[in-house]
Amino acid sequence: MSLLKPFSKLPGLNSANVLLVESEEQFQQSLADALVEETAFTVNVRLAKSLPLPMENEESRPRIDLVVFIINLTSELSFQSAEASMKFLDPGYFLGKVCFMVTNARNAAVPIERLDAVRKLAASLHCPLLFAEDQTPDGVNNATERLLTILKVAAGLVPMATALYLSNLTRCTVPPDIDQPSFD
Amino acid sequence: MDDSTKRLLKRLMRRIPTQMLRETLDKWGRLTREQLRSMDYTQTKWALTEKLLAICEENELAMKHLTELEMLYIIDNPNQGMWYAFQLMDPEDDAQSLELTQFKEQFKSHLRELVRHVSIKIKKHTDDAVWIRIAWGDTFSRPNHLKPTYVVHYLQTPYVFVTSLTSKQKPLLSQALVLSTRCQAIKDANLNGRKLTAIRDLLMRKYQQVFPTKYPSHPPENNQTISNPHIEKEQAEPAANRLQMACEAFGGGMLPQLQSAVYKLETKFRDHSNKTMTEREEPFKCVVKFASTNLLESLRHCASSGIASTPVTPLLSCIPLKGRNYFVITDNGPGPSQTRQPQN
Repeated sequence: MSLLKPFSKLPGLNSANVLLVESEEQFQQSLADALVEETAFTVNVRLAKSLPLPMENEESRPRIDLVVFIINLTSELSFQSAEASMKFLDPGYFLGKVCFMVTNARNAAVPIERLDAVRKLAASLHCPLLFAEDQTPDGVNNATERLLTILKVAAGLVPMATALYLSNLTRCTVPPDIDQPSFD
Repeated sequence: MDDSTKRLLKRLMRRIPTQMLRETLDKWGRLTREQLRSMDYTQTKWALTEKLLAICEENELAMKHLTELEMLYIIDNPNQGMWYAFQLMDPEDDAQSLELTQFKEQFKSHLRELVRHVSIKIKKHTDDAVWIRIAWGDTFSRPNHLKPTYVVHYLQTPYVFVTSLTSKQKPLLSQALVLSTRCQAIKDANLNGRKLTAIRDLLMRKYQQVFPTKYPSHPPENNQTISNPHIEKEQAEPAANRLQMACEAFGGGMLPQLQSAVYKLETKFRDHSNKTMTEREEPFKCVVKFASTNLLESLRHCASSGIASTPVTPLLSCIPLKGRNYFVITDNGPGPSQTRQPQN
């Protein structure tokens, strides 16, 4: 099985590499365009629909500092595809180098169980869960800024901070009564 | 002008939007220059209708002149109402050399033989389409001009497109068409849509076709927006393959706008643990309908984005291949339970 490994390659100088995994391949495009505009350091973005990644790119692929799973809450397929991709990541990534980004959380058509399921998944893997709004340029810029904060630490560009340390602070937690029916 | 003519004029005025009114009236050519200038298009529709009524009375225009106006408007705006496609079968040897004048005379005479009172108007459009407007009457009543049938036929092709035809009028029209085009039969092509241009382009394949190649150079649609060297797609090749297969099945570029596809399934219950259901005599019937503003575009996107598996299933790809959007699918008779094929 071809696992994506976090430390098997050498890092680049003053650069950060992020992998955006999204089953629908929509938001990742605008997010990538905004991410590469960062000037303080070079951001390289790799886009994928799901894992595993093709073997042909193994040689040319740089070391991936952060893997972001983008889940569209209005689509069950999106969630299942992200879940299925988890198996193809080396466990080393889950020490602060994986992040979940969720879109359309405010949509009334989204069943509550799906957001709870994403929350539980993120909490069990000790990863941060970000909510993004993908339809407006402002929303994309906000999501980019927050992602860059995590990316800088994951790429080792922030002195005195490591990805594992940051993930302890930012990881998703579920409230103990998440399985209780809510008052609607 | 008698009552029915006035009613037709009022209905026409309701139908034609004000923006199109000026050029349609110009093309019609039945109004003098002063009369055309006297029409003030900033007024309300009602005021314009009254003005036009007065002008038509002045010119002593009759029903046949108004039907010209209607036909002009419909020819320029054919994408309204529901159009149904028919196909002429088994042409005889001299069907290829059929000329327009011959066709016109034959059609008029055959239809007049079948229906006593009928009003037929035939016009040839610039793109080789023959437009026929038929107002139906019967043995006792005059033709009803408020519910005309429009027929479009491309000579030398077996395709006929019809709108607003009732089931009573269908056999009469079919017979007249079959006799005047020197074919043996006419059958329903199982294709319908709101836009005449779309169903015509689909049947006559007037959209960009994509053929399987060993070395695809670049996908024909959606030019890549990624030009930034810092952004790279990991799975570009599978995505390009999916796009190629989707375009092979449905076509590249702009696709004809179909609104729906209907599949009628007739099948039998297969689970052997449930005897009562398996022993039912009548088959189970089920109708699956796909609807969209541009159905072929949606299906192509489903295939290229991976939602529908590629290679595209023949159930979907036979919509553009056979040029139909109504299918009846039955089981294959006594045989393995998983086989299903589109009939006809």
